[in-house]
Amino acid sequence: MKLKFTLLIFVLMMAAACSSRKGVPYTEPLQTREQEVLQGKVLYDRYCNTCHPGGSSGLGPALNNKPLPGFLIRYQIRHGLGVMPAFSKEVIPPEDSKKIVAYMKAVRKLD
Amino acid sequence: MNRFSLSRCSLLLLLLCLSACYQLRKSHGGGQLSYTPDTNRKINPSDILLPEGYTIAAVATNLTFPTAATVDDSGRLYVVEAGYSYGEVFLTPRLLRIESDGSTTTIAEGQKNGPWNGITFHEGNFYVAEGGELQGGRILRISPEGEITALVENLPSMGDHHTNGPVIRDGYLYFGQGTATNAAVVGQDNADYGWLHRYPDFHDTPCEDIVLSGQNYTSANPLTNTPEDKATTGAYVPFGQATTEGQVIKGEVPCNGAIMRVPLQGGELEVVAWGLRNPYGLALSPQNELYITENSYDVRGNRPVWGTGDVLWKIQQGSWYGWPDFNGGIPLARLDQPDSEPPLPVLARHPNKPPRPAAKLGVHSSSNGFDFSRSSSFGYEGEAFVAQFGDMAPAVGKVWSPVGYKVVRVNVETGDVQDFAANKGRKTGPASWIKNGGLERPISVTFNPGGDAMYIVDFGILLMTNGESKPREKTGVIWKVTKKQ
Repeated sequence: MKLKFTLLIFVLMMAAACSSRKGVPYTEPLQTREQEVLQGKVLYDRYCNTCHPGGSSGLGPALNNKPLPGFLIRYQIRHGLGVMPAFSKEVIPPEDSKKIVAYMKAVRKLD
Repeated sequence: MNRFSLSRCSLLLLLLCLSACYQLRKSHGGGQLSYTPDTNRKINPSDILLPEGYTIAAVATNLTFPTAATVDDSGRLYVVEAGYSYGEVFLTPRLLRIESDGSTTTIAEGQKNGPWNGITFHEGNFYVAEGGELQGGRILRISPEGEITALVENLPSMGDHHTNGPVIRDGYLYFGQGTATNAAVVGQDNADYGWLHRYPDFHDTPCEDIVLSGQNYTSANPLTNTPEDKATTGAYVPFGQATTEGQVIKGEVPCNGAIMRVPLQGGELEVVAWGLRNPYGLALSPQNELYITENSYDVRGNRPVWGTGDVLWKIQQGSWYGWPDFNGGIPLARLDQPDSEPPLPVLARHPNKPPRPAAKLGVHSSSNGFDFSRSSSFGYEGEAFVAQFGDMAPAVGKVWSPVGYKVVRVNVETGDVQDFAANKGRKTGPASWIKNGGLERPISVTFNPGGDAMYIVDFGILLMTNGESKPREKTGVIWKVTKKQ
């Protein structure tokens, strides 16, 4: 059962990692006052933006259409994928990874 | 095969697929076109996306390798043409005035020692950073009549990166000096750039004494005609020289990878900060604090480094910022690399713990010249507007898709980065890649003294054909952005 779950996670993550989506510039700031999203943006800029600028593809694939539920994004943050490095709990604590996911979901809605 | 083994094999196969996804994919950089663009660049401001309430227009076109602009105290716009581009194109650097009808008047011409990388106007004179690819970098004072006087000469600029800036604060002129190499070790990549054959003894010079760890790297030897020849090279030494653990390299001024300053009336050079790979953009914040952009490592040469973003730094007097062993405050030895082990430190001791970046920017975005908004009539007061020249993949490393080719704004307190001006469409990239009339390669941003207009200097088309830089003359543009009142 556990193995099947792991396999499912990897299948979904592979689909997300190989997304063909390129990315779209967003010149309008996020119209939100939700603190979790705003804090998530700051954390995203610190840890994710260099490879996925503004959620678009760059060195790595686009994340702004990532078809993964939040818990799988957090799993990928913690364990890495392919050339993407893993971020330990000491670097990105669980509460911060939830904020990053909240921001990523908000960006997804901009499309 | 039992069910358990089948599951394990499936998992293994999936993991192999996942790890191979990036490696198998070709690079898709913005200069890697599948067609040859027209020699006449299409210009269409409506192809550029801006926040609601802003408008953009092209105020000068047909420029050759423009890099920076400034405005005099009468409000007239000036631009420097570099006179040099990667791809070993050597032309005459020029200072031009942009007239109201978009025509140009030549104010001064330099020697074939470009690239002229930056300009500022201060109390009746222009100050220009001459990159110095052939004869070494210089800081030039140019009178309105075009008389050129060198304020600083013989800067170590004959390598990969040049002399940048300048900005003026409290009677001092501050400028950036780039490094000779990607990561402190001279290699085959420097022969590909062209300079290793011209200056086979050229290498990086630290600003202070350093102690080496003794890391050496063996590569092909491009300085001989025998293909099988190898050379072993260490850090901060000429090509083909090995180093030893504990070896001391004496610091000198001028040095590479540094911000330096000189009194405006001339005098001794001083080091302001060092350990910066290519400090391209320099700007003063509304609080008169010095910020710089640093172009980070490439995946090339004897010591390739993968996955390091460009950095916006606030400069602290006397600090070392981490090159060649850190990126953005993170040790390179801690960075996973797709095809190799992480680079080991070349310094046995680090001068200090590098500061924390003001912001991290896209890997290979080539985040270059920038300026701060200082006026409510433009908006976003206090934020830095950074021109992103865009990737030079695959020469600098592989990218999933084009990076940069836009202007971003940065909140330097939080590190928040947001697109400000970018081409419309579902893909990010230069106009020649998207096939529209928008931004090509923004290289610097300058606000007018009133703060209500922003000029974007667009270098023009630079293709990456078979891994080599192929710049196009007469494709540079100056864009003007204003806020609708």
